[in-house]
Amino acid sequence: MLRPLRVSQPTTVTEASAELARLGEDAKVYAGGTELILLLQLGLVHYTHLVDVKKIPALGELAWDGKTMHIGAAVTHRRLERSADVAEHLPLLHQAAARVANVRVRNVGTLGGNLCFGDPHSDPAPALLVYNTRVTIGHHGGARSIGLDEFFVGLYETALAPDELVVEVEVEPMPPGVGSAYLRCARVERPSLAVAVAAAQRDGRLAHVRLAVSCIGPVPMRLQELEARLEGATLAEGQAILRQAQRHYEEILQPVDDGHGSVAYKTYLTGVLLGRALTQAVGANGRQ
Amino acid sequence: MADAVYTGSMMPVALHINGQPWRGDVRAEETLLEFVRERLRLTGTKRSCESQVCGACTVLVDGEPISACTYLTFEASGKRVTTIEGLAPGGSLDPLQEAFIHRGAAQCGFCTAGMLLTCTALLQAHPQPTREHIDRYLNGNICRCGAYVQILEAIQDVAVARRHVRERADGRSGRSTSERPPRPR
Repeated sequence: MLRPLRVSQPTTVTEASAELARLGEDAKVYAGGTELILLLQLGLVHYTHLVDVKKIPALGELAWDGKTMHIGAAVTHRRLERSADVAEHLPLLHQAAARVANVRVRNVGTLGGNLCFGDPHSDPAPALLVYNTRVTIGHHGGARSIGLDEFFVGLYETALAPDELVVEVEVEPMPPGVGSAYLRCARVERPSLAVAVAAAQRDGRLAHVRLAVSCIGPVPMRLQELEARLEGATLAEGQAILRQAQRHYEEILQPVDDGHGSVAYKTYLTGVLLGRALTQAVGANGRQ
Repeated sequence: MADAVYTGSMMPVALHINGQPWRGDVRAEETLLEFVRERLRLTGTKRSCESQVCGACTVLVDGEPISACTYLTFEASGKRVTTIEGLAPGGSLDPLQEAFIHRGAAQCGFCTAGMLLTCTALLQAHPQPTREHIDRYLNGNICRCGAYVQILEAIQDVAVARRHVRERADGRSGRSTSERPPRPR
């Protein structure tokens, strides 16, 4: 049973931020609530006030401007899954959105909520990290924009100040001819490991390589050092590098032993899934 | 809870429940599961995992499946809510319910209401669902008795029956289904 809640429904970012500033630790931003209501019911968090941000028009917008996809923070996973624009320009995000939990959660849960919760077991986060993704953060004094890689700070921790909220994410597609693949391993609905890869193959050499991994470390991350090593390599060389990088995964991603598996299992599986995704990405030639 | 000590918000709500209008104030924290089971006494919707995983509390909001256990009632304002009681208004069963009975797609029956509503949304979106469509919709509805095979058969029965109805309608309009001209590209 939920304890009594007060709900405010501001219609502007400024109002929402002022409300958060006024209420302090008693309040939390509420959009889909698929995580928040669950945690409140379980008694893992205690808020007496929800600031429902779904009445703010900008947070519900989903628009392609010919160069960048603008995704309002309160856009549901289901809308991303069903959007022809997202399928065409951001195939990785399209695939990842379709894999979130189950159809009921996708109908209600939002992209902004998924990112703000900061759970490392995120489907959309690695997909968005592969693209150039920026997060627009609003507060009562204005707005700021940061890269998604700077947004994730730690386990369930983001760069948001208490009186700030995510307004939208801006995502740039990969250049034409770059393929991509999203792969995950999951025993339950939340993935135990998810990888997103983009790459092209030109004259037998890898180019535009992007690698992102979520779930096994405290934050979803790009693996930029490995990307640089794969650039210009053949596919076979790239595969070998990814399979042999277990020590690197352990250092960079900082996995821990838990119910999803041991550190050795997670780093081994990371190499396997990244290798498979790389093969799929260059085989798909720009389409998914 | 006495109103005098209640510290939450009362939210005005106007919605349709199984085709009937409902208007009133609800507590902000009142879940749709509490609303249908305790306020309206529509107990076909089941309380089970309470964490959006099992699908027993599935109801449709504007035709889309949601988990009533974690969905706040005020969110349904202005929308159409369908529970299992709404599938058989007046007591005549939906073809999907008939197919579930025919195939023995329920054993203990606890998951059945949620299964039927998810299947209803599936067949609405994909009248001739592929195995992938079925997986996408049903992977979040758990049946501990393991009636999955019979549930799949029931879905296929309804899809096939609908195809036959459509083909007969096409046949009456002068087009033979076996000699249908190639589709224009």
